[in-house]
Amino acid sequence: MSEGIIFSIEEFAVNDGPGIRTTVFLKGCPLRCAWCHNPEGWNPAPETLLKKGREEMCGYRISAEELAKRLSRDTDLFRDSGGGVTFTGGEPLLQAEFLAEVMDLLPDINKAVETSAYAPEESFRKVMERADILLFDIKLIDPDMHKRYTGADNGPILRNLDILKASGRPFIARIPLIPGVNDSKENMEASADLLRDAPGLKRVELLRYNKIAGAKYPMLSLTYAPPFDETIEPAIHDTFTEKGIKMIIP
Amino acid sequence: MIERLQTLRAFIRSGGHHKFRHTPEEFGLDRLAESFRAEAVPPVERSARMLRALLNAEMPLILEGEKIVATRTISRIPSIFTEEEWAEIRAHHTLHERGTVSNLSADYEGILRDGLGKRKAEVTARLEDPALSQEQRLFLSAAHESITAVQDFILKYRDCARNAGMDETAEVLSHIHSAGAKTLREALQLLRIVHFALWESDCYHNTLGRFDQYMYPYYRTDIAAGRLTKEQAFDLIEEFFLTCNKDSDLYVGMQQGDNGQSIVLAGRDPQGNYLFNEVSKMCLRASYELNLIDPKINLRCDALTPLDVFVEGAKLTKRGLGFPQYDNDDVVIPGLLKLGYKPEDAYNYVVAACWEFIIPGSGMEIPNIDALSFAGIVSEAVEDLGKFDNYDAFYSHIDLKIKAECDRITAAHDNLYIVPAPFLSMIMSGTIERAQDISLGGNTNNYGVHGTGLSTAADSLAVIKKYYFEEKSLSLEELMDAVHHNFKGHEALQERLRNEAPKMGLDDDGADAIGTALLDSFSTGLRGKRNERGGIWRAGTGTAMYYIFHAKDLPATPDGRSCGEVIPANFTPSMFLRQKGPVSVMRSFSKQHLEDAINGGPLTIELDESIFRSEETVEKLAMLIRSYIKRGGHQLQLNTLNKDTLLDAKVHPEEHRDLIVRVWGWSGYFVELDECYQDHIIERIKYKI
Repeated sequence: MSEGIIFSIEEFAVNDGPGIRTTVFLKGCPLRCAWCHNPEGWNPAPETLLKKGREEMCGYRISAEELAKRLSRDTDLFRDSGGGVTFTGGEPLLQAEFLAEVMDLLPDINKAVETSAYAPEESFRKVMERADILLFDIKLIDPDMHKRYTGADNGPILRNLDILKASGRPFIARIPLIPGVNDSKENMEASADLLRDAPGLKRVELLRYNKIAGAKYPMLSLTYAPPFDETIEPAIHDTFTEKGIKMIIP
Repeated sequence: MIERLQTLRAFIRSGGHHKFRHTPEEFGLDRLAESFRAEAVPPVERSARMLRALLNAEMPLILEGEKIVATRTISRIPSIFTEEEWAEIRAHHTLHERGTVSNLSADYEGILRDGLGKRKAEVTARLEDPALSQEQRLFLSAAHESITAVQDFILKYRDCARNAGMDETAEVLSHIHSAGAKTLREALQLLRIVHFALWESDCYHNTLGRFDQYMYPYYRTDIAAGRLTKEQAFDLIEEFFLTCNKDSDLYVGMQQGDNGQSIVLAGRDPQGNYLFNEVSKMCLRASYELNLIDPKINLRCDALTPLDVFVEGAKLTKRGLGFPQYDNDDVVIPGLLKLGYKPEDAYNYVVAACWEFIIPGSGMEIPNIDALSFAGIVSEAVEDLGKFDNYDAFYSHIDLKIKAECDRITAAHDNLYIVPAPFLSMIMSGTIERAQDISLGGNTNNYGVHGTGLSTAADSLAVIKKYYFEEKSLSLEELMDAVHHNFKGHEALQERLRNEAPKMGLDDDGADAIGTALLDSFSTGLRGKRNERGGIWRAGTGTAMYYIFHAKDLPATPDGRSCGEVIPANFTPSMFLRQKGPVSVMRSFSKQHLEDAINGGPLTIELDESIFRSEETVEKLAMLIRSYIKRGGHQLQLNTLNKDTLLDAKVHPEEHRDLIVRVWGWSGYFVELDECYQDHIIERIKYKI
């Protein structure tokens, strides 16, 4: 039985998939997106946050069995509402082994995983096969831009996207709208071109930039300094709709 | 909303009709009590004569575009007693609140069906009985006079309508002067007049009961006969709702907005039918469109209620008015049956001003006669902690203290005096047969007691059980020093107690079971006791305004709450519960034996309005509400709020005149509340979903 590290369990998460859901936040992320609003999800180990002058632990170890038990508690509610559990982070694929084990222990409820897909192919496949739906984040298609704003190469992400497309499994593509970074027509078109032929794509969700993204940085003694102008409203293009892809802005 | 009603709504909200108001002094009505005293007029006759004088002084006022008329023009209802007489009454009696009849739900169904004329005829016939006592005759004569006064008031409005060329309105008023209602419009007009007259009689917290059930027959007949289209029917219902907001600033309870104008929709009948009809649906829609504090809506539901109905309710919840309040028939009806209510009454239950379950047209219940402070009792008992060497023994001590408090409360309300209400008596069953005013008793005469600080008490005991008795990680000296010195020098302990200790609301079976035990001690402490009117005592989970009163002198408590910090309102987790998830909260707060503590008092959860950014949330919320009902929760109240708006409203009240919030069991305008209630709401939203 393996152990994982999580930093929050949120009940009645209304924006993370169908029905009534509980969302689990797994700790640790290989990316450093310039607009990240969950910096406490970066470090894979438990750490101390400073909240209003008071120290508070962020993250704790939990066994796959214990987590599955906690989540299974609300099985009746999940089944009743067509809901279930969503795993997010951090980057949940960083703990793919643990995650797969938890998913195997869960009863027959809807299981969703939100991922940047920046992970080895093996990890990606392992989780994808166990998920009823993936919430697949797409940030930037241009490799250089991606490297510049997230600190990582998007090669593995695009390869995993190909795997997902080929599998035909259902997924939602999520694109954060960052003003002046990825809200260009070119980026949206490139994203749409990649997604157009995906048989499992349910829809594209454009996520508004979180204007209080910087709120948690001081708790980690970090400074939030986005290399873009937060005050500008991001451009919204009809690219997806034009290309016949269902798009919403939740 | 049609333009006519939009204009009317704007006019009413701007208070355009207030300029027609007069004080009772302008008509010498304030001196009536003095002349009553001089003439030695019996109280019941005074009530009738006062109502007559007030209705005579009312100036008929029909607002632009109104189809349902009657607007208050007298700003205040004078008492039938002089100050000296009140002092005399107080010297010999206990009084409940203001001393007049309140918090009842009249038999609107009966009066709409029969009309005022039939009641009057019944009174006349009853007066023929030679066996009547002098007192009974006085009552019946006063009742007769009250009805006549209301009828004359109707005629005054009829003439006014006629002179204004409003023939339809005049005709409606002509019909309902004596006869029962035949059409929806007549039913709504008669209801308006009757409800108006109740307020004019100095009765307060006048609820409106099962509006959708008693209006539906008129609606159905009108639609079937082609007299009204559905939209026209909706407009009339919406207009009636609007009329509930015309004079409500004059209907003061504990706070502006606490006026008791509740209505109850749907419900299961004894045959198993779920009664959600087209009028029920229209009520939810009208309330959504109007976006006003009255009437305050309750939705009766149960585990088998269709999801669509919960969705209709959730749409209104999203609006942020703090209602509908959801009442669970699966718990309330069996609970009332256990208390001895007849099945036909239990199935017909409604909600009083806030959340107390009462029986329309029948009960003279006083469901808010007192309150027991769980937190206060536990806080006192902690002083004796050193005498006990195990938790069970300590809890037995708490149990005895709760029962002693129940004994004190049940002995403290004898010799009650209530001002007679002959007009209201005519809309309550059994009063004519008994020839007795409703203030002296109804078919049932039960008293209800609130219970405050349940979670504060349970969480405190959970700390004592776990850290003091079981783990022994907290010494008696440290705990006593901490609570006696408001955690000064024990800051680390306080943090630990607040953030790590077990609490109700986290689905922690240990803490939840303590909540169950406390509530059981309370309900068994009242069980079997009789009040002086022959009624029983009911335990409840509501707090009314006592959550403010009882927190005032409460020392620091073992759950980590500082002295002076507030306690939660109603049946609700601690104010500083962290990582609160609504699913866990609902689990924790449905484990208790709620059937046995069925005076009323909801689990209250604050929602951040941002969760409704997605349209799918409404249906998800409906499913969440249903889950609480399925788990056996008895009552649920949801408050959709935005913290920034509330904070801004404190600074710039003039910009937030229309901001509506749920307070303890009613919705009001935030800017009109006393600051302590405003701050409590802001404190609550800190730990919202």
